Amino acid sequence: MKIVLTPDWFLGFDVFIELFSFIVLAIFSVLSLRNYKLNKSKKNFLYIGIGFGLIALAQLATILTKAVLYYDIGITQQIGQAIITSNFVNSVDIFYHIGFFFYRFLTLAGFYMIYRLHNKRTYLGESLLFGYFILISALLSTEIYYFFYLTCLGILMLIIRNYYVIYRENHFLNTKLLLIAFGILSLSQLLFIFPDGTLQVTANIVELISYTLLLFLAIRIRKDGKKKKSDGDNIRHVGSNSAKRRKH
Amino acid sequence: MEIISDMLAVILQKGGSIKPTHLMYKANLSHKQMKGYLDELEKKELISKNDDKKDFKEKISIKITNNGRTFLYKYSEMKQFEKTFGL
Repeated sequence: MKIVLTPDWFLGFDVFIELFSFIVLAIFSVLSLRNYKLNKSKKNFLYIGIGFGLIALAQLATILTKAVLYYDIGITQQIGQAIITSNFVNSVDIFYHIGFFFYRFLTLAGFYMIYRLHNKRTYLGESLLFGYFILISALLSTEIYYFFYLTCLGILMLIIRNYYVIYRENHFLNTKLLLIAFGILSLSQLLFIFPDGTLQVTANIVELISYTLLLFLAIRIRKDGKKKKSDGDNIRHVGSNSAKRRKH
Repeated sequence: MEIISDMLAVILQKGGSIKPTHLMYKANLSHKQMKGYLDELEKKELISKNDDKKDFKEKISIKITNNGRTFLYKYSEMKQFEKTFGL
């Protein structure tokens, strides 16, 4: 059974893309958790930080697993010895399957966390049911690989719907960029469904584009926060409330 | 938090230093409210009072500190993040 569908010539590049994705996701997680530290009354900062953090961890799980798979380092050698001594042929397969299981489970859990943020009336039972389906999806994908990408696509569609509603209300460029980034990420998940080598490479590149856009967004958020007026002041978002108070 | 950031922004608008009465008017706060907030800001080292006791009360000026500027940048960044994600 083939564990990775990526063509041989692309092996290594996919790890680079995942490493890049990990960095971008970690940046968003840190940004959000830092905002939570500043304003602890806004739990949503915490949840979105955890959401991005889980997907970042998922990327880390797949990077480590693929590093072992592609470059045959450390652990494989140990597992190899274990195979010789215990004659247990499937050990290596189990290692890879566990690694990829964590990748799938953490990715789906992270996306669900981001989706759930904007659905405040979610009941505990509903969340548990969703958690169960995520677990089943992550487990089933070991045998039916596209099941994971289909589930990802489904959750991403729900996230896109949420951000579309938000964008219609605020008409904010950053929200539009976020919407486009998630849209491109959805397209990559759609392409991953097909077992064709060329489509797998295309999916990886599309995924890279979406994470590049997310990185650009993170830079914009940081830069706009520091944007100064010509007189050296920074009152882009602050200072307007006192005027509002005066009007009332 | 919004009031605090507003007060700091107003001080910055005035070049980093402002008289208490001007701040009170600009931030639309009562004397009692402003005193409470100023004490808090001073405690957190976000502002410093340039208090020359030989002069009249009006000569007292409030200055924004480097911590205050950093806080304002972080707050502005938080607002950007909040608006982007519709939180």
